Amino acid sequence: MSDPPDKHGRAPGDMTPRERAEFEGRLSDLGGRLDRVKAQRDADAQTDLDAEMRGRGMAYGMRMAVDLVAAVFVGGLIGWGLDWVLGSRPWLLLLFFLLGFAAGILNVMRTYQRMQREFAARTGGNMGHSVPHDD
Amino acid sequence: MAAPKGGPDAGGMPDPIHQFDLHRIVPLNLFGWDVSFTNSSAYMVLVVLLSVGFFMIATRARALVPGRLQSVAEITYEFVADMLRQNTGKEGMKYFPFVFALFIFIFVGNMLGMIPGAFTVTSHLVVTAALACMVFLTVLMVGLAKNGFRFLKLFVPSGVPWYVLPLVTLIEVISFLARPLSHSVRLFANMLAGHITLKVFSGFVVMLLGAGTFAVLSPLPLLMVVAITALEVLVAFLQAYVFTMLTCIYLNDALHPGH
Repeated sequence: MSDPPDKHGRAPGDMTPRERAEFEGRLSDLGGRLDRVKAQRDADAQTDLDAEMRGRGMAYGMRMAVDLVAAVFVGGLIGWGLDWVLGSRPWLLLLFFLLGFAAGILNVMRTYQRMQREFAARTGGNMGHSVPHDD
Repeated sequence: MAAPKGGPDAGGMPDPIHQFDLHRIVPLNLFGWDVSFTNSSAYMVLVVLLSVGFFMIATRARALVPGRLQSVAEITYEFVADMLRQNTGKEGMKYFPFVFALFIFIFVGNMLGMIPGAFTVTSHLVVTAALACMVFLTVLMVGLAKNGFRFLKLFVPSGVPWYVLPLVTLIEVISFLARPLSHSVRLFANMLAGHITLKVFSGFVVMLLGAGTFAVLSPLPLLMVVAITALEVLVAFLQAYVFTMLTCIYLNDALHPGH
């Protein structure tokens, strides 16, 4: 408590009422600025996360579309080949076409489950567009 | 893919398919097979040289605190390593060189294709199919070698009543066999479609410029080309990511079947 007095002959803690008012003003201003920076940072993080999730969503979308078609195609191809070998045209083609469709749906459902798990883990269950924080 | 590169054909309409043409650079014939060194082969060699060269230069310093290039190399490593670790666990890291090489090859190949006038190696089904078959056979061999007959449990899901089991097994087998097809077609189709779209819109610019007063409209498709180019850069990365991601998922099936 024995700080040397500054050149105005006052202890460092002493302030005129005007100085004190200015100081308090700066203090509350600082709080406001900090809040703004924090809000901006949160918003940026949310935007980054949104962009990342959009990219991942696109990646998953591209996977599902082709997964479905490819399974139907391969199913049909197997049926066609078996028909060709066994001479049972067109019954196995029809059967395997349907099985291929089922396999395609299965693929898409599995991919969707995986996507849901991954997205829920990444965003903490907050899927879809960003929801503003209200805390 | 600048429009004039398309080589206008008889109608003056730029040909959007021209960019995928193969030319023999060094004709080669091996036992009746045409194994010529084509522009596609040249670009594949270029992709490999670029990637190897980049990583050699980037990691030359071996600094504890990485410089700019080394950071890029390390981020790439972390990106692929994390993907592999998350999907296959620790055991999967044994296959890291394979997965990393796949990712870099596809990514650099896709990005090289974004340079106007360059050839896109991944826009040919034969290239992507070869990559996908490589993954498929690796998964098959690793799965059988590591787990023997337990690998076949992949096709027999647990908790299914016996009377639908044959049907479900059949469906699972079809779904497994469809993998190399969807794996290769996805990459190929995306690159092909993207590059054709770019070329068609660039063609519109040229056609409008040559259409008298309609030339005032030519900036519109040009804007589209700019926007689509940005989208295609994203797709080029995403497709490399998806291909690698699926490789990791398939490898996981080989390492841990029947989960």
